[in-house]
Amino acid sequence: MEFKKIVKTILFWEILQGMWLTLSNLPPWNAVTRQYPKEPRYSDPGFRGLHALVRNPDTGREKCIACGLCAAVCPSRCITIHTGEDDKGEKIAEEYEVDVLRCVFCAFCVEACPVGAIVLSEHYEYSGYSRGDFYFNKERLLDNWDTFFPGEKGKWYMDNIWKHPNADDYKAHDDQAVFHGIQKEEKQ
Amino acid sequence: MGKIEEYTVKRDADRTDLKLNMGPQHPATHGVLRLELDLDGEIIRKCTPHIGYLHRGTEKLGEDRTYISALPLTDRLDYIASMNNNIGYCVAVEKLFGIEAPERAKYIRTMCAELGRISSHLLWLATHALDIGAMTVFLYAFRERAMIMEMFEKLTGARLTVSYPRIGGVRNDVTQEFIDRAHAFADEFPTHMEEYETLIDQNRIWLKRTKGIGIITADEAINWGLSGPMIRGSGIAYDIRKHEPYDAYKDVEFEVPIGTEGDVYDRYRVRMIELRQSALIIKQCVEKLPRGAILDPNAPKFTLPPKERVMTDMESLIHQFVLITKGPMTAQEGEVYVATELPKGEFGYYFVSDGSGKPYRMRLRAPSFVHASVLPLMCEGGLIADVIANIGTLDIVLGECDR
Ligand code: SF4
Ligand code: SF4
Repeated sequence: MEFKKIVKTILFWEILQGMWLTLSNLPPWNAVTRQYPKEPRYSDPGFRGLHALVRNPDTGREKCIACGLCAAVCPSRCITIHTGEDDKGEKIAEEYEVDVLRCVFCAFCVEACPVGAIVLSEHYEYSGYSRGDFYFNKERLLDNWDTFFPGEKGKWYMDNIWKHPNADDYKAHDDQAVFHGIQKEEKQ
Repeated sequence: MGKIEEYTVKRDADRTDLKLNMGPQHPATHGVLRLELDLDGEIIRKCTPHIGYLHRGTEKLGEDRTYISALPLTDRLDYIASMNNNIGYCVAVEKLFGIEAPERAKYIRTMCAELGRISSHLLWLATHALDIGAMTVFLYAFRERAMIMEMFEKLTGARLTVSYPRIGGVRNDVTQEFIDRAHAFADEFPTHMEEYETLIDQNRIWLKRTKGIGIITADEAINWGLSGPMIRGSGIAYDIRKHEPYDAYKDVEFEVPIGTEGDVYDRYRVRMIELRQSALIIKQCVEKLPRGAILDPNAPKFTLPPKERVMTDMESLIHQFVLITKGPMTAQEGEVYVATELPKGEFGYYFVSDGSGKPYRMRLRAPSFVHASVLPLMCEGGLIADVIANIGTLDIVLGECDR
């Protein structure tokens, strides 16, 4: 035992082992690094990225009813709403501004909104040269909706991400994920 | 001599000591910690930690926000284990309101907390080894950490600042894919652990840099109020998950590893064993995960009403408005302290409630703050090169230390 240990010490055995591990991970087919700007990374649906204001397809305007709940819940106080009336006398948000640099992307505004008028998109790559670029006003937020939630995607977001909590969250149901054993996993 | 040098390196006329400011922008101080070192050659005569560069007034901010919207503040305390912070906050608020999360939510939380613990310990291992000079471990540990980040991203929508648990449960249910992935991850994690250990466990440079360095005896550890791996490395099996179990910790089996010498190497071993234990806890949680509610059905006064009812049912709509603008108003007057086991140590939430929807006082007991105070004990009389090993072994996060 002692002899073995001495030989190992002289031969730098533990360092050789480490070197071997490093070498065995060297070939390019073992690489795990993503070459980011060349290989873009797409976030999963439900990622909490840049804001968007939902456009109501029927009216073409924002869905927001200017209730102010999102501004009330926002932990970083970065939503500013000025309410007004449209020509029918209904309450609307005349101005809706999100200071994205202050936002902490908690999605509490999404959760608080009773009508599902504000959403967070998967887009996370935005940069600008001045602070002004990051005050998103109503028009830009509505544009975000058109850009990032085309077609059915908006409806999908509402059904799958915004819906929490729903009535199912308060009770057990059969669709819930439970562990079925490892065998099933191997078959997939 | 330039002006800056004059300022940072200054000689006292009648002493041979050299005053050296280490940090706050030193990469090995893990954030913005500043150490004022009095050096006699390479020997540290005096070490004074200075903190507060990352102070954001989280405790005061918490007083201005309702119990619901203060949750994201806790993400930013120990930002590399934000899931654990969130869970601790929710457990504390639940205790204040006298409610309890349903079984399924408890299991999900425990599972996520252990994933967060693994991610935090991996970051610790990576940076600690990097500081001491073992660069390779960094790359391996970050590979596994990225897996956890991706799992969190799928589940919560954010990689780092998750804001996932809610008062009385969790935000959304786990998917089949998530629990399968978590189980597979926990299953294969020990093989990755072997890789890290191949790289450093017996490496003579690593042993030289860590064995017998920064010794804290058991008595000292108690007297300084250490917790988490810091106190366990000194041989005291103090783990809040075992002593005051919250969530599902009383239903899972795990060991609490302890060290014998109380040096840097022992704390490294303790954390390595903890990583393995965390993987075991994740596996148990996945296997035992029951069907059931993920939000407390008996506590509709704390959780937002179901979305499909908000615009159809007047009562729900009013409830939604009151809850968000005023906060949950049913707290008892009084105070509550809940300690949770974070990867760093005992993190305590202390609330004083005046019965309104906002805490009258929110006080956070941060383990990093306590641990930073033990630095002089570890460093004084030692070599300057060991300061790096000592900071690494504390595993402090300044976001939580300064709050
Ligand atoms: S995501 Fe959070 S911080 Fe950002 S605007 Fe919404 S509520 Fe405010
Ligand atoms: S976005 Fe939603 S919560 Fe915010 S003001 Fe409009 S309707 Fe209200």
